[in-house]
Amino acid sequence: MTNSLRALALGAAAASSLFVVACGSDDSGSSSSQSSGGAPKAEAPAEGKQGGALQQLGAADVDYLDPGHTYYQGGYQVAYATHRGLYGFKPGTPEPQPDLAVAAPEIGADNKSITVKLRKGVKFAPPVNREITSKDVKYAFDRAFSVNVGGQYATAFFSSIEGAPKKLTKGVKSISGITTPDDQTLVFKLTSPEAPGVAAALVMPITMPVPEEYAKEFDAKSPSTYNKHVVASGPYMVANDAEGNLTGYKAGKSIKLVRNPNWDKATDFKPAYLDEINMKTNVADASVAAQQVLKGQGMALDTNPPAAELKLAVTQFKDQFVQVPSGGYRYFPLNTTIKPFDDLNVRKAVLAGFDREAALKARGGKFTGDIANHFLPPGFPGFEEAGGAEGAGVDFLANPRGDMAVAAKYMKAAGFKSGKYEGDEELLMIGATADPVKAQSEVAKAQLEKLGFKIKLRLVPQDAVYTEYCQVPKKKVAVCGGAGWFKDFQDPQSMLEPTFKGENITLDGGNNNLPQLDDPKIDAAMDKAATLQGEERLKAYGEIDKMIVEQAPAVPFVWDKQTNIWSKNVAGAANDYGVLLDFNFTSLK
Amino acid sequence: MGTYIFRRLIWTALLLFFVSALTFLIFNVLPTADPAKLRAGRNQTPETVAAIREQLNLDDPFLVRFFSYLGDLLFRFDFGTSVLNDEPVRPLIFEALPNTLMLVLGAAFVWFASGVVIGTISAVRRGTIIDRVAMTTALVAISAPVYWLGLVALYLFSSDLGVLGLFPAAGTYDAADGIFTNISSLFLPWLVLAAAFAAIYARLLRSNLLEVMSEDYIRTARAKGLKERRVIFRHGLRSAITPIITVLGLDIGILMGGAILTESVFGIPGIGRLSFDAINRNDIDIVQGTTLFLALGVCLMSLLVDVLYAFLDPRVRF
Repeated sequence: MTNSLRALALGAAAASSLFVVACGSDDSGSSSSQSSGGAPKAEAPAEGKQGGALQQLGAADVDYLDPGHTYYQGGYQVAYATHRGLYGFKPGTPEPQPDLAVAAPEIGADNKSITVKLRKGVKFAPPVNREITSKDVKYAFDRAFSVNVGGQYATAFFSSIEGAPKKLTKGVKSISGITTPDDQTLVFKLTSPEAPGVAAALVMPITMPVPEEYAKEFDAKSPSTYNKHVVASGPYMVANDAEGNLTGYKAGKSIKLVRNPNWDKATDFKPAYLDEINMKTNVADASVAAQQVLKGQGMALDTNPPAAELKLAVTQFKDQFVQVPSGGYRYFPLNTTIKPFDDLNVRKAVLAGFDREAALKARGGKFTGDIANHFLPPGFPGFEEAGGAEGAGVDFLANPRGDMAVAAKYMKAAGFKSGKYEGDEELLMIGATADPVKAQSEVAKAQLEKLGFKIKLRLVPQDAVYTEYCQVPKKKVAVCGGAGWFKDFQDPQSMLEPTFKGENITLDGGNNNLPQLDDPKIDAAMDKAATLQGEERLKAYGEIDKMIVEQAPAVPFVWDKQTNIWSKNVAGAANDYGVLLDFNFTSLK
Repeated sequence: MGTYIFRRLIWTALLLFFVSALTFLIFNVLPTADPAKLRAGRNQTPETVAAIREQLNLDDPFLVRFFSYLGDLLFRFDFGTSVLNDEPVRPLIFEALPNTLMLVLGAAFVWFASGVVIGTISAVRRGTIIDRVAMTTALVAISAPVYWLGLVALYLFSSDLGVLGLFPAAGTYDAADGIFTNISSLFLPWLVLAAAFAAIYARLLRSNLLEVMSEDYIRTARAKGLKERRVIFRHGLRSAITPIITVLGLDIGILMGGAILTESVFGIPGIGRLSFDAINRNDIDIVQGTTLFLALGVCLMSLLVDVLYAFLDPRVRF
């Protein structure tokens, strides 16, 4: 028997937002209201001019065009314009919108099943041209668990589906726990009562349909070559030829999106005003590109502008940008397994004395984000429950510029009579060779040294910061100078569990619990919260956020904002999920 | 001559073998980041990383992987596949190559021509105001960082951001649209890339020419009653320019590996940009491919220069 949760919107996060609204409260954490500094809010334009071409200047290529493989902002931007997942987003509304689905997922009473009904009349783009069915979504899931495709989050968020492999398989295997009773129905059977969390994750590109009869030839190769033959289902498609080869994609250079001739506006909530989007993905100098965008016509930038151009946009081009919360936090994790950070009072002293404003300045200043004092970010479900902008109310995070008197108090409590750390050991900090991580690491080093620590800062390439050091416990990194965690979907579980649950510490590498916080009380609270829905869930995770802050496992220092800029004749829009420019809602003036 | 060229080609092949072995060793035995971990993404598990390692044959012994790489390179001209976006490296290099060729050859023409002209005039008019102005300007051009010079040039002369708006905007040249289409977009990059090289060549040539002009055979030529212009161009310059040709060949060869800064400032999708992005992303196969390409460029240009010597300098015989 299933318990219809249509009134609860999507999964846990969105569900609770709507529930709270229904109760007349206004603290649902709508992120569109969080834009600060007088910046324009991210709202869907009421009406846009039909037609025209937009050029987006970008410094980086997408990771993959294959929706089963992409796991990067740039890839998502294209994916959500060219595909219709089960759920999508629109600017100004944090709640997911049914896209290929007709309504919110129905969660079983035992929290162990999810049913999604699909829309009729949605077709694949050429060369497939047929109507999309539930089998196409099931195949999208099946293939994402294959090493050939290399789904990067399938095992992390969907491993509780019955029959889902624990590791990526050779070739594509059917997952027994995903069934398709008819062409418009998709059912997920879970091995544990985690349906709220899994339902919330159904906004991810893994739900974007893939036609098996067309893709299996490409997926049989390892790695899959579907990336060069992707079939669209959204308003736009990467330009292709009659056989489906992507002629509009030049790796590292450009992507050309054109209208999908099979897209039916009547089936979609997205207006898709533009006729064509040309993305340059090899623009080298961000400063030059940002100025070209602000002073030119019909252009947009794919990333945050550099500090000088950001200031220029905010002060002089006020109707040519939008800021949206990035939905994440940046932090300096303190390794709780290494002396002296295994002492709670020492960690509290670090947080107390740390000048977080200086760290924010190193990242570009106030236009790039707000100073964080806990982990769930503004606009995110659970933010208000975790204390909102005030935070958990602890004295060691009260002053964003740091308070040496409070730091001294905790150092003394840890046994250091001078009020500063007195040990001689050298602590390893890892930072990146490039700014802004380099700059923020240097600030962190200075902050720790003023408290008496001896820090050895090692700068390595950005990609290696995580994979080769901070995520590898045996490297004994005391402080990670370049850590951040950003949402995968709008649910607080995904923001706190991977990063602070003791159960998730993996000593062999790939460890996302960077401080290696292992607190049985926090783990138990997380286990309980994972089964909750609606407001209860948000309250539970808000409390967990506070519990984590009390353990001082890391210095939270910034909640990022994404700033999207465009030319004068462009009406840009961005949603809270993708945060980059939303091609589906952007138009020319 | 034929034997000499054959011998040099054998040496080039050997050199490329060592370069490929060295780059493979650097990027595979001492990698800054594990390709499997990069590909697995931030939610990786040890099992996923292990599956990808198996998929990419990263667990095979070093020598097996190296000879497999070499085999692919020699017999299929396959430079491997980008681990981060599944794109084969060879087409990436060959798509970027025309852009780099157009940039480098155009700039080389500018710097060689202007360097020779300025160097010759300075040497002939040694100590005059022309010489002083030329050499001071050369010093400034050498001292100006290319990146800075590029930005200044854009803010002064580009049509969208520049005060004067004389040249097309940055990012408007791509040989894929046609090698000679929109070639005016390369004027500014040519001038910027050529500036420092032209200055160095001018100073070098001036110095060589002054030395040559004091040689006995020049005095003999003058004593024979040859016109000064003939003495300078036929006897002096021909000798003084030979070392410049060597440097030119090597410079072009090195820049074939990418004029990273110029390509970056002007948004030219050349080999320099390709390798720079790959280095930033630890995309090992692309870095290896572009490194090999750079080595090949230097070797071939060096060979070409040595062959040219025989024509330029009658004393050289192979």
